[in-house]
Amino acid sequence: MSVISAQQIKKTYNPKTIPVHALRGVDLNIEKREFTAIVGPSGSGKTTLLNIIGGLDRPSDGRIEVGGKDISTLSDNQLIDFRKKYIGFVFQAYNLIPVFTAKENIEFVMLLQKRSKAERDARVEELLSAVGMTEKIDKRPSELSGGQQQRVAVARALASKPTFILADEPTANLDSKSTSDLLDIMANLNQEEEVTFVFSTHDQRVIDRARRVITLDDGVIISDVNID
Amino acid sequence: MAAIVIGVAATIFIMAFIAGQMQSFISNTIKNEISHIQMHHPEYKEEYNVSFTMNGIQSKLDKISSLENVQAVASKTIANGIISSAKASRGIMIAGINPELEKAVTQMDQNVIEGEYLSAEKRNPILIGKRLADKLKVGVRKKLVLRFQDRDGEIIDAAFRIVGIYKTNRNNFDEGTVFVRQSDLNKLLQLDDDAHKIAVLLKDEQDILQSKKKITGLSSGLLVETYEEISPEVRLFKSQIDISAKFIMTIIMLALFFGIINTMLMAVLERYRELGMLMSVGMNKVRVFSMIVLETFLIGLISAPIGMLVGYIAIIITAQNGIDLSAYSEGMSEFGLGSIVYPSLQPDAYIQVAIAVLITTILAAAYPAYKAIKLKPVEAIRKI
Repeated sequence: MSVISAQQIKKTYNPKTIPVHALRGVDLNIEKREFTAIVGPSGSGKTTLLNIIGGLDRPSDGRIEVGGKDISTLSDNQLIDFRKKYIGFVFQAYNLIPVFTAKENIEFVMLLQKRSKAERDARVEELLSAVGMTEKIDKRPSELSGGQQQRVAVARALASKPTFILADEPTANLDSKSTSDLLDIMANLNQEEEVTFVFSTHDQRVIDRARRVITLDDGVIISDVNID
Repeated sequence: MAAIVIGVAATIFIMAFIAGQMQSFISNTIKNEISHIQMHHPEYKEEYNVSFTMNGIQSKLDKISSLENVQAVASKTIANGIISSAKASRGIMIAGINPELEKAVTQMDQNVIEGEYLSAEKRNPILIGKRLADKLKVGVRKKLVLRFQDRDGEIIDAAFRIVGIYKTNRNNFDEGTVFVRQSDLNKLLQLDDDAHKIAVLLKDEQDILQSKKKITGLSSGLLVETYEEISPEVRLFKSQIDISAKFIMTIIMLALFFGIINTMLMAVLERYRELGMLMSVGMNKVRVFSMIVLETFLIGLISAPIGMLVGYIAIIITAQNGIDLSAYSEGMSEFGLGSIVYPSLQPDAYIQVAIAVLITTILAAAYPAYKAIKLKPVEAIRKI
């Protein structure tokens, strides 16, 4: 069964003034444990598609199901709950809370889920170990490099044990070494913890590691290649 | 936070300053003019006729002075008349006093700025106010003529010699009141040992109503009133001051309100992306709203006590020597205000300010919090 199933997704910005058709009818199925990259030129609709899959934005038309549930009809508050339970986000600009330590940044997602302290502590330790940041547990974002911040962001995205992780240009601000390390970590999590990853990216290094590459252009899928 | 601290400190200090002015006015009125409680013939206040006197004065004075909360008591004989010097005449109130008893009640002896206070020795001595002396163009040892009606309606002219000139903080009082010995005035009015007024100074003003009740019990058929009942301007001044204080507090709270809105809106805008991220990962709108309100409330909770402390310290410092406004003393005297203001504030005023600040803080937080929950995570996380 597909983790994500999108049928004829359309998205038009400014429909009443100057309409911009970001997605023109996208059909997409993503299975569990996929390591998928959505690629395409700027303005092709990658980020819009990712936002709609993640419940951050609503399609103008079409149907999107996540875990068998139609999310296009959910209210704002239901969408927030949905994101909390099913999705982890990794952003291009990391978006860590500057006044929190690495531990606190990971922990607060679990606080929203009302997990016990013991459970939170164990999960933080486990995740920081998985992303190789155990020693930086008490460091604030300003004390970490870009690569380290993004690793904390990945750990945060995994904290709630989501069904899948959406990563929007996760390596755009990273150097080669950091990119390589981060991709190793994510590939490892994908293999060992069976986490589904969907990337939106321009980065060839990410595309090279993906097992499925979906290419978008002008709001439609022009190719969908399984590399396995 | 600094804005709240300064706002609260300013509110506290201004309220203390206003309260100090009010206290100055009331204490001047009590000290120099009317005391805490007065007793009259019930019809005297309606006509101010010299025939409406009280008798058995010494017995009344003895009984009243034996009451627990009474500090001093004195009787007065009052006549309205005209005072004339060689150069001018004025309408005045003539107060016949027992100099020794009056000293204890109104401390009039301390207001003498030239010459001396009334004594038992000299013949027909008179004490007049500085403003009246200036108007009449007279000084100490000059002779004045008082003209008034006795209890039978006969016109009396009597010569008095100025022994002293006094000055209080009440210009109208100084210009319109002269003091002579009660024995001299009673003789001229043919009043024997009667008097028109008994003035009572209390040890503790807080018990004024209880004391009034006791004094009323000692004097059936006579009118006993507190200073607020006798002097409507005290009540008026008190209510005006109260309104002014509340008005100033409202203005400062409004300034605080918009200051907090501005600050918290800036805080929300600065953290737009952070808030977007929080909402992306599952923080619901109720939590985001509560977070902004709680943050603002905590700022208020920390700032308000600091502001109150700063205001309190300012009051303590300025209350030691008072704030000297002698540059404006002439104008202030017109309103019965002293030229030195001693700021003071009752403890309940601090509680009022604290509650006002916390309510203002919460109300001011609502709009930024509303703006925060209206943001769209998808736009916010891309904000640079």
